[in-house]
Amino acid sequence: MKFEIQLTSAGGKRKHVVEVEQKNGASTISLDGHPVDADAIQIGPNVVSVMLGGQSFELHISRSVDGALKLRCGQHEFSAEIVDPRAWRGRKHGAVEVEGRQEILAPMPGKVVRVLVAMGDAVEAGQGLLVVEAMKMQNEILSPKSGKVERLLVKEGQAVNAGEVLAWVD
Amino acid sequence: MFKKILIANRGEIAVRILRACRELGIQTVSVYSEVDRTSLHVRLADEAYLIGPAPSRESYLRIDKLMDVARKSGCDALHPGYGFLAENAALPRACAEAGITFIGPSAEAMEAMGSKTAGKQLARRAEVPTVPGTSEPIENPEEAQALAQNMGYPVLLKAIAGGGGKGMRVVPNDAAFASAWRDAASEALNAFGDQRVFLEKYLVGPRHIEIQILADAHGRCVSLGERECSVQRRHQKVVEEAPSPVVTPELRRKMGEAAVRLGRAGGYVNAGTVEFLVDANLNFYFLEVNTRLQVEHPVTEQVTGLDLVKLQIAIAAGHRLPFAWEAITPRGHAMEVRLYAEDPDNNFFPSPGKIISRHAPTGPGIRLDEGVYEGWTVPMDYDPLLSKLIAWGNSREETIARLRRALDEYTIMGIRTNVGLFRRILAEPEFLRGDIHTKWLDEVLARPRPAVEPPRPGTEEAALIAAALWHSTQSNAAAPGGTGAQEAPSRWKMEGRRRQMDHMP
Repeated sequence: MKFEIQLTSAGGKRKHVVEVEQKNGASTISLDGHPVDADAIQIGPNVVSVMLGGQSFELHISRSVDGALKLRCGQHEFSAEIVDPRAWRGRKHGAVEVEGRQEILAPMPGKVVRVLVAMGDAVEAGQGLLVVEAMKMQNEILSPKSGKVERLLVKEGQAVNAGEVLAWVD
Repeated sequence: MFKKILIANRGEIAVRILRACRELGIQTVSVYSEVDRTSLHVRLADEAYLIGPAPSRESYLRIDKLMDVARKSGCDALHPGYGFLAENAALPRACAEAGITFIGPSAEAMEAMGSKTAGKQLARRAEVPTVPGTSEPIENPEEAQALAQNMGYPVLLKAIAGGGGKGMRVVPNDAAFASAWRDAASEALNAFGDQRVFLEKYLVGPRHIEIQILADAHGRCVSLGERECSVQRRHQKVVEEAPSPVVTPELRRKMGEAAVRLGRAGGYVNAGTVEFLVDANLNFYFLEVNTRLQVEHPVTEQVTGLDLVKLQIAIAAGHRLPFAWEAITPRGHAMEVRLYAEDPDNNFFPSPGKIISRHAPTGPGIRLDEGVYEGWTVPMDYDPLLSKLIAWGNSREETIARLRRALDEYTIMGIRTNVGLFRRILAEPEFLRGDIHTKWLDEVLARPRPAVEPPRPGTEEAALIAAALWHSTQSNAAAPGGTGAQEAPSRWKMEGRRRQMDHMP
């Protein structure tokens, strides 16, 4: 599978194309079009081990609030924004409005105090979907696009964690 | 010995006490608030009872509810841990009324030693040195100057009515005394309408060094040596170690004897800590007594080989302390760091949330006292202490190297932690020399942050590859209908997607 990844590190932001194919337990990997002597294997739900020319790296991964990936290798932290080939047209950059199915994530741990839409409702970009209360502040979560509420995954009164999926809009 | 102990606490200390009970074959009863149903101290206990909603005033601080649980579950003793009600004399009183043994000092000893003023009076009576000074105002400047000369400079002038640094002057030497006195008095008069000033010895860069004492109900009181806790962020201890890099066997003996004198004078029974300030000339001055188990007790355990919680239980059950312990000397070196769920980039603001993944360090010389686990949500209602990471070794150098190694192994994802702060402290040359005082860390944090060592070559590439791999397995797992389940995706679907993908740009 081919991905365009924007990696943010202490050294700045850079965009790369990574291709990973896994066949019979072995991986074929290329970086920016060049094949690399690397092997990657997921060894836990949030841990990936990477062998790169004999050097061993272990990366702990989680999804951060804004949907980007957070990676940690020892004391070093990276953030990765991925452009999925399945949403190839839906790049965040440049487009007036996002396209494709959008996951609505909770921006912080809190409680859903109001659900403003129902499943199947047509919504406009910028329309309020839910209200999440955190640290005694109410935050209205807005729809990133015009479309239909495909799924509602939370109820009023439910506690949610940062990054938890609240709804899908397509 | 007791049959069943109620643990009136939560978090890592509740787990610590629970483990001691289990080793002694004592049944455990935990209590929990509504947000702590899934906490480790509830999961590990033999019995656990809900005592109220999240705010501690309505749960962990409710003596009536604790007594109710103790009675109903048939507990014969109660351990308060630290924090919450551990230093509230009403708890041992309630226990006594209910016929339950309180694992700690008597209510009277708690009151006689616990408060700063009462403790200071007791220290004077027990001939334990306190910070020299006059608590009474001095009217005559000549008389005050004579006192200052006697005490030795620098001295501190403080307004009787004082507060907020007004009417306060540090006097570095005799020549500066007269003008400092005039300034302090007039400033005090302007600020508070009261020009009276008193005098105290000013300690330059004092260290915080405390003595762990143990006293049984048969009149034996012993010192288990010192802990150095000078690394503090805004008066909160951050790193603790034993032995102190500056305490000599002679000073250890003197401080130990002073602490034991104080414990005897206060009729103290059980484990307690006598805190001292130590100046550059290794003079020590009484600060206060903590009439409970301390957060940093593990460093003493690692260098003495004793289990303080088990000893607390034995003392409460009326056992005697064996004689030989009076001659305890520390072996090797131990150091503890307190890992908190706080955001170092946001002024160490608490950062509660769900622990998405966690890898805990192990190996030689490493101990982890904690009350967290992967998948648990750190509640926002309590102190965000996650873990105490303790390392020990033959020398201070080996201990620091082990602690650094363990910090590198320790990974928690999902919440922010102060791990980076310890990496920084453990690399500071002053810390490595043991050249620290109570304001040292605040000074270090005011300096510009040193550049982080760049990652070794290949790390960014590895991160890119890992991100791609993880993302592809994640998005396959989070198919419609599942709520991000980890079940393996259908091979047919993957193959179909792969083929579709080949047609993409």
